[in-house]
Amino acid sequence: MTNKRPTAKVYIGLLGLDQHEAGALSVTRMLSEAGVEVVYGGRFNLPANIAAAAVDEDVDLIGLSCHSWEYLYYIDELVAALAAAGKQVPIVLGGSVITSKDEADLRERGVAATFGSSSTPDQIVSEVVRLAQTARETS
Amino acid sequence: MTSKLSTQSGIPLQPVYRPEDLSDAPYEKDLADPGSFPYTRGRRLEADGGNWIWRELSGEGDPKRSNEQLKYLLSKGQMGIDFVADTPTYTMLDADHPQARHAVGTQGVSLCRKVDYVDLLRDIPLDEISVSASVRAEFGIIGLYMATRELGFDPALLRGSVIQSTLYGEDCCYAVHLPLDLRLRLTCDSIEFSSEKMPKFHSFIEDTYYISDGGLDAVEEMALGFIEIRFIVRELLRRGVPIDSFAPRIAILVNGHTDLFETVAKIRATRRLFARMMRDEFGAKDPRSMAVNVTGHSSGLSLTAEQPANNIVRGAIQALAMALAGVQAMEISTFDEAYRTPSPQSHEVGLRTQQIIQLESLVSQVNDPLGGSYFVENLTDDVENRIWKMVSDIEATGDIMDLSEQGYFRRIFADTMVRNANWVAEGRQKKVGVNCFQVPPEEDTLLRDIVEQKFEPAHAHVEKVKRFRAERDQGAVDDALRLVLDCVKESETNLMYPMMDALEANATMGEIAGILRVACDHPYDPFHAVESPIAA
Repeated sequence: MTNKRPTAKVYIGLLGLDQHEAGALSVTRMLSEAGVEVVYGGRFNLPANIAAAAVDEDVDLIGLSCHSWEYLYYIDELVAALAAAGKQVPIVLGGSVITSKDEADLRERGVAATFGSSSTPDQIVSEVVRLAQTARETS
Repeated sequence: MTSKLSTQSGIPLQPVYRPEDLSDAPYEKDLADPGSFPYTRGRRLEADGGNWIWRELSGEGDPKRSNEQLKYLLSKGQMGIDFVADTPTYTMLDADHPQARHAVGTQGVSLCRKVDYVDLLRDIPLDEISVSASVRAEFGIIGLYMATRELGFDPALLRGSVIQSTLYGEDCCYAVHLPLDLRLRLTCDSIEFSSEKMPKFHSFIEDTYYISDGGLDAVEEMALGFIEIRFIVRELLRRGVPIDSFAPRIAILVNGHTDLFETVAKIRATRRLFARMMRDEFGAKDPRSMAVNVTGHSSGLSLTAEQPANNIVRGAIQALAMALAGVQAMEISTFDEAYRTPSPQSHEVGLRTQQIIQLESLVSQVNDPLGGSYFVENLTDDVENRIWKMVSDIEATGDIMDLSEQGYFRRIFADTMVRNANWVAEGRQKKVGVNCFQVPPEEDTLLRDIVEQKFEPAHAHVEKVKRFRAERDQGAVDDALRLVLDCVKESETNLMYPMMDALEANATMGEIAGILRVACDHPYDPFHAVESPIAA
C-alpha cells in the first residue's frame, strides 16, 4: 500500500491577480510525470485560501508561480496564515521576475526556495521532492 | 523528407528553393501589386515604401504617472501612443478591490473611472497622433470617447485602436468572469458604437499577439485569430450590420517572432487570407474591408531573463521581420520584459531600434522587398494553407461558442504553454543564454541593474479611488447602474450608452462590470469580496 503513495503531494497555484499560468502548468506537468501528486490551485488565490487548501489537502509543500510582483506583498500573510493553521510546510516560488535580491529577502521571510527561468526541470523537481519529503517526514 | 530543417513552427524546409517551388498561379491571382487584391504584398502601394508608426507599449502606476511616461516617449520621437491597462483593470476590477491591492499599476496603468482616462491623456495631441489601447474594448472605447471630448478634441477624428479579447480572454489572458454571449454582445455593441461615433478608430483589433505569447506557433496563432474574427463578424452580420460598415475598422496585431522568414510569410499569408475571406465569404465590396491593417508586437515570450542584453538583438530581428513584411505600426517588447514592464531605458532602446531600422537600414523604402523570393513565396503559400486547414478543422469540430464553453481553446493554450516550456528545456528550441552558451550568474551582469529594478504598486491611487467612492453622489450612481441592469435585459439596446452614462455619473468600471454579471445571474463580484451598491 505504501508503495503506491506518491513521492510527495504539493500545491501549485498563482497569487492574487497573477494570471500568467504557463509556468504553473508546465511545473505541474513535470512534477506529475515525476510521480508527485499535484493539487492544482490555478489562478486567483489569496493567502487564506492557499493555507486552507494546504490543510484540507494535507500537502507537503506549496509552490507558487510568479509573473507579477504580488508575491512580494502576499508572502508574509501566507507564512502567517500557515502558522495560524498549524500547517508549516515549505513554500517555494518560481518565476523569472524573482531577482537574486528578492531571493535573499524571501528566504529571510520564510520561503524555502526560489526558482528562476534558468532553473532546469531536473533542478525544480528534485528540490521540490526533497523539500516536500523532508517536510512529510518531520510533520 | 527526412530533413531536419524547419521553421520555428516546425514547417519543413529545403536547403534551397528554385523556380519550380513557386506556385503556377498568375501574378495577379495570389500576389498582385501592393494595394491590389488579394493584398499579399501590402494593403497600400506606398510611394515611400511605407513608414510604420513607432510606438512602445507603456503604462505604469496611476494615470498621471503614465501620462508622464507617454509624454516622455513622444519627446523621444514616438509617433503614436500605446498604453496597456494593469491587471485589475484588465480583469474589470476597481483599484480598491481587495483582490487587486498589490497589483495596481505594476503591469500597466490603473483605469477604473472616467477621470482616469482624462488624466492619462491630458496634454497629449490627440488630433495628431494615434492612440492604441490595450484595455478591455468596451471600457477602452468609452473611456477614450469621453476623455477625448473632455479634453477638447473631436472623437470622430480620433485615430487608434482597441483590442477585442472576446473569445479567448478568459482562457489565456485576464478573466472578466462574464459569460461568452455577453462578451460577444459587448464586442458587437462597442464595434457598432465606434463605427458610428469614432469612424477613424479601429475598434476591432484581433490581437493574435497576446493569445500566442504563451506558446502558440505562427500557424496556430493566425488560425485562432481567424476563428475569432469569423466568430465576431458572423455575429455582426446576424445582427444586420453591413459588412462594409465595420470591416475597414478591423486590424490584426500579430506576434513578431525571431524566425524572420516565417514571420514575414505569416503576415503576407494573413493579408491574403483576410482579403479572400472578406470578399468571397462575407461579401465585402469596399476594398478597405479586404485590405487589412496589420500591426506587430515583437515576442515577449522569446525574451530571456538570462543575458538580458541579448533581448535587444531579438527585438531588432523581430522588428526587422515586421518591417520587411510591411506593418502599419509596431511595438518592440523591451529587453527587461522577463522582469517587468518597460523601464525608461529599455523603452528608449526599443524606440531607437525602430528608428534605426527605418532610417538607417533603409529596408522599407521598397514595398514588399522579399516578394518574389522563391523561398518566401513558397513559405507564404505553405503557411496560408496550414492556417486555413486549422481554421477549417476547428470549425468542423463544433460550434465555436460550445467549444469555448467546453474548454477546447483553454486546452490548446495550456498544452502549447507546456509544449513551449518543454522545447526550451529539452533544447529543441535553441535559446542563447538559456539552453546554450550560458554564463554563470556572477558573470551575467550587463543591464542587470536596470532589469531588476522594481517599483511599488500604486497604493496611493487605491486610497484615492476609495475617497472618490465615498464622496460621490451615490443616488446618481445607483440610478445609472439600475439603467445598465435594465438594458442588459433588452437585447436590442446598445449597452455602450448606459455604460457611458454610468461612468459619467461616477460609477466605476468594476461596478458596471458587476452589474453586467448580476444581469447574467453571475455573482456581482467573482471573488465575493465586495457587494453590489444596488439591490438586484
